[in-house]
Amino acid sequence: MVEALAVASGKGGVGKTTSTLALGMALADEYDVTVVDADTGMANLCFHTGLADANTTLQDLLLDDADATVEDAVYERFGLSLVPCGTSLSAFREADPTLLREVVAELAADTDVLLLDSAAALGSQSAVLPLVLADRTVVVLQPTIPSLSDGLKVQEYARSYGTETAGVLFNRVRDDEAIDRVAEQAERYFGGPTLATIPESDAARAARRAGEPLLAHAPDSDAAAAYRRAAGRLEIQDGDEGAVADRFRSAVIPESP
Amino acid sequence: MSETAVGELDLPRGTLVRSRVGVAGALEAALSRDLTGYARIEPDSLLADGDPGVLTFADGVPVAAYCERGAKGDSRGVDALAALAVPGPCTVELYELPAGSLDRVHEQPSFTVPPGAPAEELADDATLAERTRERAPEEATDRGGASALESFLEDEERIAAIQEEARAEAEKRAAEWGLDGELGE
Repeated sequence: MVEALAVASGKGGVGKTTSTLALGMALADEYDVTVVDADTGMANLCFHTGLADANTTLQDLLLDDADATVEDAVYERFGLSLVPCGTSLSAFREADPTLLREVVAELAADTDVLLLDSAAALGSQSAVLPLVLADRTVVVLQPTIPSLSDGLKVQEYARSYGTETAGVLFNRVRDDEAIDRVAEQAERYFGGPTLATIPESDAARAARRAGEPLLAHAPDSDAAAAYRRAAGRLEIQDGDEGAVADRFRSAVIPESP
Repeated sequence: MSETAVGELDLPRGTLVRSRVGVAGALEAALSRDLTGYARIEPDSLLADGDPGVLTFADGVPVAAYCERGAKGDSRGVDALAALAVPGPCTVELYELPAGSLDRVHEQPSFTVPPGAPAEELADDATLAERTRERAPEEATDRGGASALESFLEDEERIAAIQEEARAEAEKRAAEWGLDGELGE
């Protein structure tokens, strides 16, 4: 069984990578979870997981003359299989984003849940590919108008490719906000339920500085508890590994221009 | 002192101290110079829905807002912020006024906004919002009630327009990127 979920936001600074890893760790209690840093232009999963010096990353797999295997870029940490992406600009420029399809297909064959940490902006083919490849999206929002506007936009992009919304996470929520009313109103426009509202937290910043996912660094924090509730509400859908892998491989994705 | 009426928000005419494109820079400038006065915000968009608005300040911190546009005609307070939170550049003129000259205006609760809300909603700058909240008087941070975001979410027409525009853009880009074969039904 496998489901590929793109974790997307439409804008930066909402805590997308923190959320991807937190959801992943919470889901790992029940599932075999693989997290891929598919934000190849602004990779930062490595900094959240102590993998900044990883020898082989997704970047190596996206080169036309790649001699690394997918297995070489998978790191077992924090109960997750992690595929970080390097931050070399020249490697990013040389990368063929369409090779992500093959990488995802191979990873999908051997996991229960595949989380694709996706690009914040929607300005390129490589940024949109995770939305194309995923079964569903989790949209991470901050309770502000710019964030909701961008979240609605990302949802429409994903829907254009037949990728529906699995749920919405409101992150960095401050106490004084009328978040329950906002979440209820927002549910009218988003395809999935509000999975949780995550309080603004110093623990998330401290975890990032320590190079650890939030659920490893501050497992007893309110934010960590909220992410566990979110994972509990996310109903993972069964998929056949072979069919999912075939779908990725058969996706009609052209050569990059 | 002459008055400049912006809708029902009657402001004394101030001295122009800054005129630039961008809301974030204007809010930053108002905060750093402890501005008492107002900002006139004019969206540069050629679209018809870019109507101007006004945001007032006391000692650098935003207090009241008014916009000539809104879901129900003109708008005030958090509804005005929601109306002004449109994508694209704005020209912002900052006007200074003598201390105390906006006290009467600032006593009208229907116009008031939470101190950090303009930075969050108009400039998308959480750090500036936090610094603004830290500078705000304690009673100002407790301004409760509905938020600008709730006002935005009530505007079904506006949200439908955002969705429609995004769908059209996604389809156009899919063709440019050669992904049109992946588009759903």
